[in-house]
Amino acid sequence: MRMDTVIMGGGLSGLTCGIALAKRGQRVAIVASGQSTLLFNGGSMELLGNIDGQAVTVPLEAIATLPQDHPYSKIGASRIGQLAQEAQSLLADAGIEMDGNADRNHWRITPMGVAKPAWLTLNDHVRIDDLSQLPAKRVALMCIRGYFDQPNAMLAQGLRGLGFEVEMKEFTTDDITALRRSPSEMRATSLAKHLVSNSALQRVADQLNSLAGDVDMVLMPSVLGQNDTTDIHNLQALVKKPLYLVATLPPAVAGMRMQAQLRHYFRMLGGTYLMGDSAVSGTIDGERVTSISTAKLTDMPLRADHYVLATGSFVSRGLVADYERVYEPVLGVDVNADADRERWTRFGVLEPQAYCRYGVATDDQLRCLKQGKVIENLHAIGSVLSGHDAVKMGDGTGVSLLTALAVAHSIKGDK
Amino acid sequence: MVTSDIYKKEYDVIVVGGGATGAGTARDCALRGLSVLLVERNDYSTGATGRNHGLMHSGARYAVTDGESASECISENMILRRIARHCVEETDGLFITLPEDDLQYQQTFIEACQRAGIRADRIDPAEARRIEPAVNPDLIGAVRVPDASIDPFRLTVANLLDARLHGAETLNYHEVEGVMINQGRVEGLKLLNKHNGEHVEVRGRVVVNAAGIWGQRIAQMAGVGISMFPARGALLIFGHRVNNMVINRCRKPANADILVPDDTVCVIGTTSDRIPIETVDDMRVTREEVDVLLKEGVKIAPSLATTRIIRAYAGVRPLVASDDDPSGRSISRGIVCLDHAKRDGLEGFITITGGKMMTYRLMGEIATNAVCAKLGNTAPCVTASQPLPGSEGDGADERDAATRRYSFGQRAAIGRHGSLAARIEKDNDIDNALVCECEGVTVGEIKYAVRQLHVHNLVNLRRRTRVGMGTCQGKLCSCRAASLLGELNHDVKGAQEDLAAFLDERWKGMRPVAWGDTLREAQLTASIYEGLCGLDQAVSLEGKEDMQ
Repeated sequence: MRMDTVIMGGGLSGLTCGIALAKRGQRVAIVASGQSTLLFNGGSMELLGNIDGQAVTVPLEAIATLPQDHPYSKIGASRIGQLAQEAQSLLADAGIEMDGNADRNHWRITPMGVAKPAWLTLNDHVRIDDLSQLPAKRVALMCIRGYFDQPNAMLAQGLRGLGFEVEMKEFTTDDITALRRSPSEMRATSLAKHLVSNSALQRVADQLNSLAGDVDMVLMPSVLGQNDTTDIHNLQALVKKPLYLVATLPPAVAGMRMQAQLRHYFRMLGGTYLMGDSAVSGTIDGERVTSISTAKLTDMPLRADHYVLATGSFVSRGLVADYERVYEPVLGVDVNADADRERWTRFGVLEPQAYCRYGVATDDQLRCLKQGKVIENLHAIGSVLSGHDAVKMGDGTGVSLLTALAVAHSIKGDK
Repeated sequence: MVTSDIYKKEYDVIVVGGGATGAGTARDCALRGLSVLLVERNDYSTGATGRNHGLMHSGARYAVTDGESASECISENMILRRIARHCVEETDGLFITLPEDDLQYQQTFIEACQRAGIRADRIDPAEARRIEPAVNPDLIGAVRVPDASIDPFRLTVANLLDARLHGAETLNYHEVEGVMINQGRVEGLKLLNKHNGEHVEVRGRVVVNAAGIWGQRIAQMAGVGISMFPARGALLIFGHRVNNMVINRCRKPANADILVPDDTVCVIGTTSDRIPIETVDDMRVTREEVDVLLKEGVKIAPSLATTRIIRAYAGVRPLVASDDDPSGRSISRGIVCLDHAKRDGLEGFITITGGKMMTYRLMGEIATNAVCAKLGNTAPCVTASQPLPGSEGDGADERDAATRRYSFGQRAAIGRHGSLAARIEKDNDIDNALVCECEGVTVGEIKYAVRQLHVHNLVNLRRRTRVGMGTCQGKLCSCRAASLLGELNHDVKGAQEDLAAFLDERWKGMRPVAWGDTLREAQLTASIYEGLCGLDQAVSLEGKEDMQ
């Protein structure tokens, strides 16, 4: 198969890059294992949330102060604002309706009721622009009976700490009770699968309407909308008070939906999405990758002019650590990681962990290196990149989106 | 009884230490009609009891080097199969000879086992490979012995439960700060209540020091000297059970020569290093320990090389120098019971130490005999025949559990609590819901543990129910369980701090083996709890370590 670009990895960065290139007329194939860290997404994108433990208010200003090895610095701090806008419209084109802007972070509400800085948040998720001016005073927190992936009491306490008056209400419907017969079925994804028909949504709405009382806003866990936001909009229309969703523990329905929407959009643009497959090896001839092989297409290597490594961090197996070393498993490109295992981690689970910043080494154009030499047609994007820390800096989704767009521009030869 | 009443009462006996030995002693004393208080500075089974292989020795390991210990082991082994059925899995064990070992030793070994009364059947290497496919296929000899696997957490809790059923009282998170002595006689203890920082006193006619390696400190507070030789042993837990029988090396005991199947996992160990007594509270496993365990473990079962390691941990054996050799050259693994009246002229104080988790019951019996002699109690010991709570009856329920009548969660609970599983709450429609999918722990079991088994936090809960002990190491279930505990205890802030402390405790064991899937799991956990949830913003971990 001959492509213009082959992207290894079908998560947020791979899909974003694929969409940007397909939009510009390229033949693009994405090799996707099917797993993505969007599964843990809280309904928001973050450009830069924290520096040294301090919340960032104006991300564009803070980005200008990042060290040289951060992916944003490699893209160029001055380009971030424009790429951020481009990312937001790409998401909107895919049907992902999010609000926010790169000039000023707002706050998302986590499943534990913590306010964390965010750049974009789904329209139907609760968010706060200004902590001194809450969007509502009295809220009803609707808890689904027997659903444990939302720590309700923690969430309520967190919301109260932010200044909301919170009333906790428990509800269920026949559809939900039926799910509970299997002890392990009460997960967000099963709820989303079953709460789709008009009658099922009406039964939820009846419960919410009868329990809500005199509040300004109704909150419920984000367990609706498997494939698109129709079910959410339908329920919002049936509920008399303004209804917003709150992120849950994984699996995150909203994140899986975003993944599905991006995938759908990519295919609509003519992209080839090789689902359930993964790149296993590649051949490098001098300074260029000439083909890559996947787990399923064993006798049919994929060939392209450009290759993009979007395989993610350790979680997604884009990076692998064994007893002796950290390496990139597909092409064996250079990584930035400590050689001594003792330095990968430290005791103290909440301490910054060095391994979180590990990733592949690149030049300023995000091209990979092998034994110190640039591979001209191999770029890396997203979490596989070194020099950032999604956990401590809150820059994971932003790095994925923006490096994907920057590389798409670079592949198309844009300035 | 409320805690403040405990402080006012005078007991016949106060037992210091909530490990297997302390719990077994408290149970024995209570069964003989004494009024008993047990005090423990942390949670139950936090010391060596909770930090070993979970191996129910047949005694074969000691047969050549220490015949007395071997005899004790086989006798206790047979007793525990009866009285603690729900804590024991009858796996049997192999002693294998590898090409690098001396096959001559096998004969010496079998003869020594026979002298100690341990059944030891030489079997063909091909037969060994057939009955235990995980074994190193290069073995040149094998002997089958009645080793088994035992859950020390469950065993300790069952002893404590029975002690309480017979009137004993127990205080965990109460640390001994001083021993009250009046005219050459111990009268009680000064304690720190770690829940609220209060300094309190408890009174008893006899104090039994069953604090394991920490017993040296307790003895010091009473002004008597005991020379303990802390021997640290590190172990690794693998992500699933590669073996179904205990596998030992048939040679003189050395590093990492036992692989034990425990519930859903298996454990290789141990190393053995003398450490200074000052360092017994630092249980972090070093890189060197991990390296030696892996290198040797792979020789026993080659598939360990490709099996995920889920955590590393270490414990300290309380070895004691015999009194006639203060240099410490002749250190015994045998049981040491010191009546300090005879030894040091201090009345009302007994130390029970040495020994093994395996021989906890016998240690309890010996200590209780000493207590009874002082108090003029002549009741006989019944702990060798009276089953522990959970192991009464003929086991029909447990056998039934293997049938489809029960759900996964119910079967798992019966496996953990034996006949006590009947007490697990099923009063409403969500009690059957699974909180921990790896280990099959339900909402009802958590409620039962909180109400009946002294659970204050997630680490306590893990020790009682195995929540978070499976391959995911508490990735999602710890939040579900923390949330439930927060609601049951009406303390949400505490539940968040507890969750962070629990994750930190899990990480301590993961960090020494943080590569491969274990590192992936760590990154996933960090992404969920810090990235997604912001737990790091909600709580601080400083000063929380003491409550584990």
